[in-house]
Amino acid sequence: MKVVATCSLFPEEIVLNGKKIESIPSNEVDWKKWVYSSLNIEYPKFHKMDSLAKLAFLGISVLEKEIDFSTYKDEEVGLIFANKYSSYYSDNKHFINYTQKNMVSPSDFVYTLPNILTGEIAIFKKWYGDNVFFILKKFDIEFFIEQAEFMFSKSIKACLCGWIESNENSEQAYLFLIENKEGIVLKDEILEELIIDKIN
Amino acid sequence: MQIFITGYGVISSIGLNVEENYNSLKNKTSGIKLTDSTIFKNYKVGSIQYSNEELAAMFNLQTKGSRTAILGMIAAKEAFKDHELSSEIRTGLISGTSVGGMDLTENLYKDYLKGNFNTEEYKHHPSGVTTIEIAQELGLEDCFLNTISTACSSAANAIMQGARLIKNNVLDRVIVGGTDALTEFTFNGFRSLMIFDEEWCRPFDNTRNGLNLGEGAGYIVLESEVSILKSNSKPIGILSGWNSSSDAYHQTASSPEGYGAVLSMRGALEMSCLNCNEISYINAHGTSTPNNDASESMALKTVFEGNVPAFSSTKSYTGHTLAASGGIEAVYALLAINRGVLFPNLNFSQAITETQLIPQKIFEEQKRVNHVLSNSFGFGGNNSSIIISSLN
Amino acid sequence: MSELKEKLKAQIIEQLNLENLTPADIKNDMPLFGEELGLDSIDALEFIVLLEQNYGLKITNPSEGKDIFFSVDSLAAFIEKNIV
Repeated sequence: MKVVATCSLFPEEIVLNGKKIESIPSNEVDWKKWVYSSLNIEYPKFHKMDSLAKLAFLGISVLEKEIDFSTYKDEEVGLIFANKYSSYYSDNKHFINYTQKNMVSPSDFVYTLPNILTGEIAIFKKWYGDNVFFILKKFDIEFFIEQAEFMFSKSIKACLCGWIESNENSEQAYLFLIENKEGIVLKDEILEELIIDKIN
Repeated sequence: MQIFITGYGVISSIGLNVEENYNSLKNKTSGIKLTDSTIFKNYKVGSIQYSNEELAAMFNLQTKGSRTAILGMIAAKEAFKDHELSSEIRTGLISGTSVGGMDLTENLYKDYLKGNFNTEEYKHHPSGVTTIEIAQELGLEDCFLNTISTACSSAANAIMQGARLIKNNVLDRVIVGGTDALTEFTFNGFRSLMIFDEEWCRPFDNTRNGLNLGEGAGYIVLESEVSILKSNSKPIGILSGWNSSSDAYHQTASSPEGYGAVLSMRGALEMSCLNCNEISYINAHGTSTPNNDASESMALKTVFEGNVPAFSSTKSYTGHTLAASGGIEAVYALLAINRGVLFPNLNFSQAITETQLIPQKIFEEQKRVNHVLSNSFGFGGNNSSIIISSLN
Repeated sequence: MSELKEKLKAQIIEQLNLENLTPADIKNDMPLFGEELGLDSIDALEFIVLLEQNYGLKITNPSEGKDIFFSVDSLAAFIEKNIV
């Protein structure tokens, strides 16, 4: 199988296929909103998403600079996502709402499930294929490749994989698209390893 | 390659083990009640009427953990009770949960606000730790472990994941399912979604008004044929098909036509090489919300072309056990097959106007139940369907 | 009443995270759940939270909300009528 594109998003930069394509101003209060604006996308639902879903959405939007997703049928793309801290950021928000603010926001609660981000991607792209969310101790590319292999035994032709994390210490996203065809696993393994080290 | 099932275990508001659950199902005894708890206010829930300490003592648990972990330990232990570890059998545990150790954390937080901060106690919080603690109780801590969090389809996805690992020769034997405890966190969240019925829920009924929350855990043991020759375990069924799909419609609501559900059911049927008319019984997701039951009914009619087999939701027995539901309902599917019974859809009186589907109303015995389809649909549009078949 | 309506528009934008909109984009009589704003069932529930948090008014049945949340006009009228 072949990894056809990768991207990573950190508060200071966007990296596409191992190359930095954007530096985010360090004084930017809401760096995800800045990225959304810089990508010139029109998708108002973005603003309602929680941090995890926003990161996933931005990641796929960056990948679209390289990939034409319309070449896949709507049941041909599988979604394999994972992280270590689950929906920590939204869990905390919901918890503070009902314990300290004496109110509960239904939209905050909805995002206390990490797999809502795969749901948001599916809604955005109108994809009906397999989707799953794992909780792992750390990012492990072999795990994702194995999962993609499982999906390819069905009608899935490409797997969009992602490690999306949002907690009080860090916000980051690393997405990559694996296709079921001949080719090298990672184009620039050294550069990707640096990014993976940064994530872990 | 066939995926055999060689063990099952369950704990829910209708029983602390498989036999107790079966007897309640047979006697039409629901576990959904008002409780003394101030958390759930005046809402009926399917809670297990024992504290963590009582459960740990009753089941002689050696490992500390949150309530979610404790329920998981109990059900997983029952599922694995006739098994032994062996260096020749690559064994794993894949567990689904939505709430992890939140039941402990939300109480510890109150101590924290008073200035008592014990970091040791917070270690039970993460979802992944729930799985580790279940594994520790079973002596599986060095085995393959994995945690899935896809809301109400988590256990079903854990079952699928386990099957894939066996099929791809990564594992020989794997305990799969899910666990979730009732928490203030979940209760408050669902209440803000205005998704509860203040009364006892009525799945697939025209007057249904929402769900009742529940708690529990359910696990099955999947094993390859080669592994069975080594373990000498006794198969009780076959996992003959599975599929997962996206509804791609809304974060919490299902599409009116249940498109994602249609895809997941059709995919499972295709994998199992079964025709629609070979399905003996469907354990529906059937949460009793106006949206799910309408959507799932439409999907059933589409897939089965109007000839929907006997179907029921067992959530009017147990409540909606969230991430555990797919595991608990897989156990019920096995009971239906091995005891030759069909479980009723309690509290039903009037078919949904738009679909006119009538679920199984009575407990029926001496039935030939060869293939059972079980649906689990999670928020985020994660739709999962599995098919369990008899050995014959 | 018009001051209340302007305040409501700002509160709606904040509560529902409609960051792409300004109060000027929401006309008083515009159907809030029509095509233009793209609000959904979760947003309807957020309106219930907005009413309770900001105005102390409780709606226990979401189906009551359909008429009340039809437009800024109807929402303002409901608040004026019921606020203590």
